[in-house]
Amino acid sequence: MKLLAKYNRVNVAATIIVLLLSSIIYYFFIEATFVHQLDKSLVVEEREISDYVKENGQLPEPSADNDEHETFTASNEIIKRKYRSIQLFDNVHKEQVLYRQLEFPLVVKATSYKIEIRKSQEETEDLVQLILKITSVIVLILFSTLFIINRFVLNKLWKPFNSTLEKIKRFNISETNKVILEPTNINEFTELNDAVSAMTKKASHDYDEIKTFTENASHEIQTPLAIISSKLELLSQSENLKEEQMNIIQTISETTNRLSRLNQSLILLAKLDNKQFKETDHVDISFIIEHFINNYEELIQAKEITLTRNIKPQVILTMNETLAEILIINLFTNAIKHNNRDGKINIELTERSLLVSNTGSAPKVDPSAYFERFKKDSDVGESLGLGLSIVLKICETYNFNITYKYEEKLHKMKINFYSA
Amino acid sequence: MKILIVEDETELSDSIATYLKGEDYVCETAQDFNKALSKIEVFDYDCILLDITIPGGSGLDILKELKANNKMDGVLIISAKNSLDDKIAGLTLGADDYLAKPFHLSELSARVAAIIRRKKFHGNDLVTFENLTIDTKAKLVSVQNKTLDLTRKEYELLLYFMINKNRVISKNAIAEHLWGDEMEGNYDFIYTHIKNLRKKLSDAGNADYIKSVYGMGYKFSVA
Repeated sequence: MKLLAKYNRVNVAATIIVLLLSSIIYYFFIEATFVHQLDKSLVVEEREISDYVKENGQLPEPSADNDEHETFTASNEIIKRKYRSIQLFDNVHKEQVLYRQLEFPLVVKATSYKIEIRKSQEETEDLVQLILKITSVIVLILFSTLFIINRFVLNKLWKPFNSTLEKIKRFNISETNKVILEPTNINEFTELNDAVSAMTKKASHDYDEIKTFTENASHEIQTPLAIISSKLELLSQSENLKEEQMNIIQTISETTNRLSRLNQSLILLAKLDNKQFKETDHVDISFIIEHFINNYEELIQAKEITLTRNIKPQVILTMNETLAEILIINLFTNAIKHNNRDGKINIELTERSLLVSNTGSAPKVDPSAYFERFKKDSDVGESLGLGLSIVLKICETYNFNITYKYEEKLHKMKINFYSA
Repeated sequence: MKILIVEDETELSDSIATYLKGEDYVCETAQDFNKALSKIEVFDYDCILLDITIPGGSGLDILKELKANNKMDGVLIISAKNSLDDKIAGLTLGADDYLAKPFHLSELSARVAAIIRRKKFHGNDLVTFENLTIDTKAKLVSVQNKTLDLTRKEYELLLYFMINKNRVISKNAIAEHLWGDEMEGNYDFIYTHIKNLRKKLSDAGNADYIKSVYGMGYKFSVA
């Protein structure tokens, strides 16, 4: 829910409650005032009657208009003077009508009378209706004011916030340009902007440090590896090595190689994770595929693999050229390494997709695990288990959609260049 | 042939120097930026092996210096910084080749030989071993003026062997040289190529120069 909507909801609810409460309070106050007014006029009537009796020694004619009734009844009861509200049936309007009544005792020529004077309280009802109407009008006016404020004022007020938000969304840590936020004269937003600037600056700084660290780690590890492998190569040139020693040299040399490739692959993955391959080009993927087919041709022949291909020329992708090569090399070497003698490889390239299918032993583990780092399902000893993670990572970088299927005894790796 | 090794790791530059001396190269070493700079000012080298991260400055600046002075020395960048930026920067600045650490000395030697051939003989050099001759420009192999019909990879393999003659070359180094590092550890392919190459060489009347060295790899030699 939008902050504005939430705020409005609370605002409207509070306004309605306050208006309702105040209408009730109005009602009671105004009614009390009104009744008080009626009571006063009843007292006037009472005095008129008393004066009349004093002057004339007899009761006046009881008046009976619509609004005012007077009844005089002889009574022996002890009557106390009191006000009360009563409901009587109105024959004219055929409804119950509320009256305010004053009753008091009066002695005329030694006869006790009970005098009742009542006046209609109809106006109070009208008053309630009026109050209701006024309240609804106020509510309406309030709503339209809120709407106008939201529509024109608040949107403008929130503009710096929205602009900052947009900048944060577009913030790319691997880009060097700093986040520049529009200055605003609202304290909260200035604070927000300051915090965002500080945060992005820190993030960029940390990112650069990690990047440098990655590079340095690579440097630091590769150099000792280079020394080890060069010394081993010199050692292997020595005359009179025993068989056992040769085996040891070979094992160390292969392990060193593996360690070095592992290190390079991990650095590549880290760089992909950090989105450090920013330079993109229009890469002729058809050309790259043909080039590597050419490169591996004799290798494929040596393993007596039949290669079939259907490659549409000049398929252009916008991506980093080195990554495109790494992607193709990984797919090819996978298809060659995990193939059997007399196997098949089929490569199909269209504008929209690349399909590499190859024969090979059926998958032993859940194929989705192939894309996980260090998952292996093969007896190909030197496999690092990183090749497909790299392929997946490259595909993710460019929003390619990669799927793996094993059907018709073929491993099928398909990349859709346009995932939508 | 004079070679300058600009590398701060003395153990590594020693290994390189030891290996290359066996190929009749004269090797000099420089451990830091200033030493390297003073050497290239005074001497001309056939090939400079240049590390990018060296104490006192960047190898790339040495490269700029060379180009600014119109020096014709061949330059092979050897860097542990396998970062694309360095590679591209290096090649754009006029380096002849780029080799990421760690590398096989046999590979380094092949790259150095290729640079020198290109620079010094304008690619028109002949590599010979006994009665075998490789015209690296025409990419032709001949035995006593008779041309051998080799596939591309067999040609590359033979050239690699001849440049690293009398050396034990590991199977990994061969695999990497022929197909790049993704194919390391797949030796069946090498066996096939070696078998075919041996056959073609012996059919042309050569002795078997390709010697298997138990457990480690191969050696191209007469004895």
